[in-house]
Amino acid sequence: MKKLTFLLTSLLLLGFVGLQAKQYTPKDIPMVRLQDRTRYVSNPDNILSPRAVTVIDSILYALEQKTGIQTVVAVVTGIEGGDCFDFAYRLGQEKGVGQKNRDNGLVILLSTDERCVQFATGYGLEGTLPDAICKRIQNRYMLPHFRNDDWNTGMVEGIRAINGYLDGSMENIDDQEEDEIWILLLIMAFILGGICLGGIAVYLSVRQKTRCPQCKQHTLQRVSSRIVGRNRGVKTEDVTYRCRNCGHTLTRREQSQDENYQPPRNGGGTIIMGGGSGWSGREGFGGGSFGGGSFGGGSFGGGGAGSRF
Amino acid sequence: MKKSTIIVIAIIVLIAIWGITSYNGMVKMDESVNTAWSNVENQYQRRSDLIPNLVNTVKGYASHEKETFQAVVDARSRATQMKISADDLTPEKMQAYQKAQGEVGSALSRLLAITEAYPELKANENFKELQAQLEGTENRISVERKKFNDTARTYNTAIRTFPRTLLASMFGFDKRPYFESEEGAEKAPRVEF
Repeated sequence: MKKLTFLLTSLLLLGFVGLQAKQYTPKDIPMVRLQDRTRYVSNPDNILSPRAVTVIDSILYALEQKTGIQTVVAVVTGIEGGDCFDFAYRLGQEKGVGQKNRDNGLVILLSTDERCVQFATGYGLEGTLPDAICKRIQNRYMLPHFRNDDWNTGMVEGIRAINGYLDGSMENIDDQEEDEIWILLLIMAFILGGICLGGIAVYLSVRQKTRCPQCKQHTLQRVSSRIVGRNRGVKTEDVTYRCRNCGHTLTRREQSQDENYQPPRNGGGTIIMGGGSGWSGREGFGGGSFGGGSFGGGSFGGGGAGSRF
Repeated sequence: MKKSTIIVIAIIVLIAIWGITSYNGMVKMDESVNTAWSNVENQYQRRSDLIPNLVNTVKGYASHEKETFQAVVDARSRATQMKISADDLTPEKMQAYQKAQGEVGSALSRLLAITEAYPELKANENFKELQAQLEGTENRISVERKKFNDTARTYNTAIRTFPRTLLASMFGFDKRPYFESEEGAEKAPRVEF
């Protein structure tokens, strides 16, 4: 009886574990890069050890700094449909891995249920990392370990080998630059537009001021003014205008800034005191985590190779 | 000028602007269909270029499988003769093209099937890499075919929706055919090992 119970329990457990193996679609893969741009490995099922993930992240971060090649590593238990090539290709294409103008994205997929490893290279990487080389790397460095279910060693060695091929293959040209120039131009256009609009507004208001209410001509001329009062730097005066066209005169009360105004001696000092709160310098240093990254929008054309083991 | 004349002129100007922009849009879409088509042709060409090398490698190990080699070479030469310019892609030509390329695919899969019987060949490094290249090319072909179908669908939808369809028929923008989904002989060989 005990044996039977044990058997049943283990069967149930097995079934439970079997249910847990998730079938991923490319959309389900968490993109760790979006939170932290120094991370490249999506390891939602914890198949790789944290140590292996750290090693791979550091290799791929260095590679991206040097060459601009953007990599995504996805390690999952199972994928929907079971087509490893299609999954890796769609993951790269839909997320837009790689810089936009150079299409230098690389997707590395390992699925333990399908027992497959698949590389997908962006259009721009097909020359530097040809399919035959992908296959060779898989055969030499990855498959021997994967056959023994040693995912960590296989992935780390394979990615080291890829890094060996790609390191120095291209320069890291920041293709964001072009976008930034556009943004700068746009901002300048805005500023220029603002200045123009402001100028037009001032011109119109001045023009409005010279308009005679009787004959509608812009021929009003300031004749005399009489100061009514000065109060805290604001000068109020009655200005008399006369129209050169029809001789109509009118008086307007106007307020303007008083150039002769001097603020009281003792009052002003308080303004200088601000800004000296010295303890707020902590921000911007610590933390240790980097900002989220993004993908450039690279395109894929079916390059790369895959193996089953 | 009368108010009504101004309104009429404004309407004419608006129609002209609409006509120009949608004509240009259709030209652009037409061009992208052409590009997608030439990408498909390039990938098929790439597969053709791999064939002599592959056949020679297999010949070194399995010299007596003459019929299979001949079938691959014949299918290849039939397929390479068929060049369709993107401008006169008719459904019939498309079908003929697809049929010819499908025959290359099935001849290749027969060739790869016989290699199963030769362990030394399968262990050959050169052959392995050729196989990897062939597999990659098949993947590229299917990707480019899909991209072509998507581009052609966007274009077809654009030229067949009202009111643009009036403009399209006026300037001779024709519907483009699609790649049929693969079935039977047209199924690309699954290269898995």
